[in-house]
Amino acid sequence: MTDPAETLAQQVTERVIDLLVSALDINELASLVDLNALLGRVDLNALVARVDLDAVLNKVDVNALLARVDLTALLDRVDLNALVDRVDLNALVDRVDVNALVGRVDMDALVQDTDLGAVIARSTGGVGSDVLDAARSQTVGLDQFVDRWVQRLLRRKHPGPGIPPALLSPSATVTSAQAAS
Amino acid sequence: MSTRASPNDLVTYQGHYAGSVSRFIAYAIDLAVTTAAFSLGLAGISYGVHIVTGHQVSWNKSNAVVAVLFVVWQFLYFGYSWAVSGRTFGMMVLGIRVVRADGMPAEPRRGVVRALVFPLSFLLFGLGFLGILVQREHRALHDLIAGTVVIYAWDARAARLRFLARQAELTADDVASPTPTPGVSSAG
Repeated sequence: MTDPAETLAQQVTERVIDLLVSALDINELASLVDLNALLGRVDLNALVARVDLDAVLNKVDVNALLARVDLTALLDRVDLNALVDRVDLNALVDRVDVNALVGRVDMDALVQDTDLGAVIARSTGGVGSDVLDAARSQTVGLDQFVDRWVQRLLRRKHPGPGIPPALLSPSATVTSAQAAS
Repeated sequence: MSTRASPNDLVTYQGHYAGSVSRFIAYAIDLAVTTAAFSLGLAGISYGVHIVTGHQVSWNKSNAVVAVLFVVWQFLYFGYSWAVSGRTFGMMVLGIRVVRADGMPAEPRRGVVRALVFPLSFLLFGLGFLGILVQREHRALHDLIAGTVVIYAWDARAARLRFLARQAELTADDVASPTPTPGVSSAG
């Protein structure tokens, strides 16, 4: 059980503190404090180390933040030339699959729709090559014509492989053709 | 029915087994070339003998020496061509080529073997050539023995580009110089 005198003393003390605090002007008191000196005594690194930044960032709406950023103004301040100078273009090009890139080019459209067609026609389209192309396409057509009739006479439904196994991949076919030409 | 393959089809047929017409025409060209070269050679020898000795030498087709020389010359022509490049002059014109049965380039010895057994296909009224027509891989008897096949090996892709380029150039010419419409007077 508590001593009644002690209880009374505690109540008096609390009352005095209340009166004292209500009488104090906190703003005035704060103006008297040298905050720089106070912050100088605080170890901010230790303080930051105790903050869970991930939790803080999780609470941040980055999209809303970016929506408020004026990217045009930001880019105006960026020296793109200096930035590009720092890029190793050779390393960048080494990572590009040029063959795949060229494979995506529509050569037919390129030849038909640009001056490249005229260049090819003038550089390679001699009378000789024209005659050879015509003769070869004619004989290939005749070959197929004869072959179709033979298959029909023999009543073959499955004509066979048509191409040797090693030439089944397109690249091998091209290599073979290049070697032959 | 059109018997002319379109440029698109040609690219598709590249690397396929060559058919009978291409091979026959290629052989006909080779035969004409080798016969002409042989005749020229004999004429040259006759002229040389005439210059040196003053005697006139006449070559008879039924002469055994001439026949043997012709066979040897044919073997040298075909054997050397197939061993070195896999194609003769006639095959080059038609854009076909001798390769191994699996499609890889034929070794020189295969070319020589092919030339050696080539006459066998002529036996029994040329029965050995029937395979070119009926066999699935268009292989004649000498192909089966030498382990070879004949394929279309010309650069069909380049030919197609040339075709497209010619088309583009013709179109450009038409646009540059349009044909005047009949009945329309430029005098107004």
